[in-house]
Amino acid sequence: MKREAKRREAKKREVKKREVKKREAKKRKAEAVTVRDLSYTYPDGSKALEKVNMKVYEGERVVIVGPNGAGKTTFLLHLNGTLRGTGGEVKLFGRTLGEMKREEVVKEVGMVFQDPDDQLFMPTLFDDVAFGPINLGLQESEVRERVRKVLALLGLSGYEDRAPHHLSFGEKKKASLAAVLAMEPRVLVLDEPTANLDPRSRTELIGILNRLNEREGITMVIATHDVNAIPELADRIYALNRTVIESGTPWEIFFDGELLKKNNLDVPDVFKIFEVLQCFGFSCESLPLSLDEAVAGLTRTIETEGGHIHLHIHEHTHEGVERWRRKYEHH
Amino acid sequence: MVEYPEIDLFSSLDSPIHRFDPRAKIVAFLCLIFSVVLVQDLRLAFAGLLGSLAFLAASRLPLRFVSQHIKWVSFFIVPFLLILPFTVKGDEIFRFYALKMTYEGLEYGVLVALRAYSAVVLVLPVVATTRFDLTIKALDRLKVPNMLVQMLMFSYRYIFVFVVEFQRTWRAMEARGFKLRTSPSLYALRTVGKALGTLFVRSYERGERVYQALRSRGYTGTRNPKTLVEFKMQARDYALAVLIVGFAVALHAVSFVFARGV
Repeated sequence: MKREAKRREAKKREVKKREVKKREAKKRKAEAVTVRDLSYTYPDGSKALEKVNMKVYEGERVVIVGPNGAGKTTFLLHLNGTLRGTGGEVKLFGRTLGEMKREEVVKEVGMVFQDPDDQLFMPTLFDDVAFGPINLGLQESEVRERVRKVLALLGLSGYEDRAPHHLSFGEKKKASLAAVLAMEPRVLVLDEPTANLDPRSRTELIGILNRLNEREGITMVIATHDVNAIPELADRIYALNRTVIESGTPWEIFFDGELLKKNNLDVPDVFKIFEVLQCFGFSCESLPLSLDEAVAGLTRTIETEGGHIHLHIHEHTHEGVERWRRKYEHH
Repeated sequence: MVEYPEIDLFSSLDSPIHRFDPRAKIVAFLCLIFSVVLVQDLRLAFAGLLGSLAFLAASRLPLRFVSQHIKWVSFFIVPFLLILPFTVKGDEIFRFYALKMTYEGLEYGVLVALRAYSAVVLVLPVVATTRFDLTIKALDRLKVPNMLVQMLMFSYRYIFVFVVEFQRTWRAMEARGFKLRTSPSLYALRTVGKALGTLFVRSYERGERVYQALRSRGYTGTRNPKTLVEFKMQARDYALAVLIVGFAVALHAVSFVFARGV
């Protein structure tokens, strides 16, 4: 019993510590990534990025959305100096990236590529995860410890000697995240982390990312098409199409129908369903973007409206549904 | 399910050769390979092959796996066995129109075949009884030029990716009615050529992305990629190494005696 109490106490302390850490980070609001007027022209002359401006604060999760070919991957490759812009600058924690040493940049920014086969280049999982820490010049015991820790964190313990071609796609995806996390970066850049994952792996990965953000305070920049994952993954959204078209909280972006339509952006399914419910007379203060919000919203509405919700067909229902349909016509 | 060309498929078996330290294994067997391919005497070449087979047997690799690999090499060895007896000048055994089979030619052909088969038989206990990544790491520890180690390491990793990629292309072609077997026309061959070309382009693009990923995790190109691995030589590793190298030396010691005495 005593031990139990002690453990609970320790846990409480830890939670408190984390909260303090988070609050401090928020107070500081230091800029982790600052991008100013970044432009990039491909060697063949086609423009990939034009005067992109972006600020990502420490501990923030920023999602970048945009159609195929909008320059998302190209943009991400600038964040760790893999590509150098043809104009403008990128700053990491206040320091200009161009003036930092390669090792310093690599240590601060971890990049998870879209195709895990691009990233898992070593013959075994252990070698791959150890690759980064070894390059950071860490002692062998420290490298081994980091590999052990990271593999345990991602549920890949026991896979050390596996060759990448013997892993499933989901495992490969987690492995490539592990390989980057072993370097303990302060900023994590992810290109389509949920693409091609089965629903369970997808949920798992989103959970892992959010835990990393909460517990370790890792700043995240994520490019994704997975619109249903955005409410769970984003503090702020940037809509990118060669240049930044719009930025704001998920709520601000998803409520701007004009913007969505103009840029071929989609909204989460939950949001759409509640828009339809509104046409049927459902009233709530704000439309939910995620399932959790939906549950909270429904509970609140039912409580305030005397134990039930009321849906009906009124004179504007069909008109409203028609308008709703037109709003998402491009899909 | 994809069938991978895995050379280390049976590396998890247990045998004296499997337990042999990878570094000592490479060095010792390499000595023996050089020894058997340099033997000049037919009897010794035969002894060399028998010895090689004994080591192969000691490695307990399944016969099917072994024959599968030797089969391919035979395509190169058998022609020697067929052509040499008719092309080397010497004492005639029999004549078939303009073709003359000579005793010297036959002996030379058999010698070449024996040596080649011995070498191939010896390669299997080296590479098939150790996980291939450990073989590469052993090579690195043996101070093989880093550039070669890197090339081997990345080739080994990506050969599997390319196999899968080509299979995917192939299936897509078959799904749209492409057949090579029934009608190997010029058109079909050209199509295969194009598919291979696409694979090359794609590998090139992948190479670029892999390089970006490497750079993103601190790759600089020199003394890279380092790996952590522990090899430890034990008494039985030394003993086995001495046995193998001893056999290699013995073959030539005997050949020296033969040259003198016979």
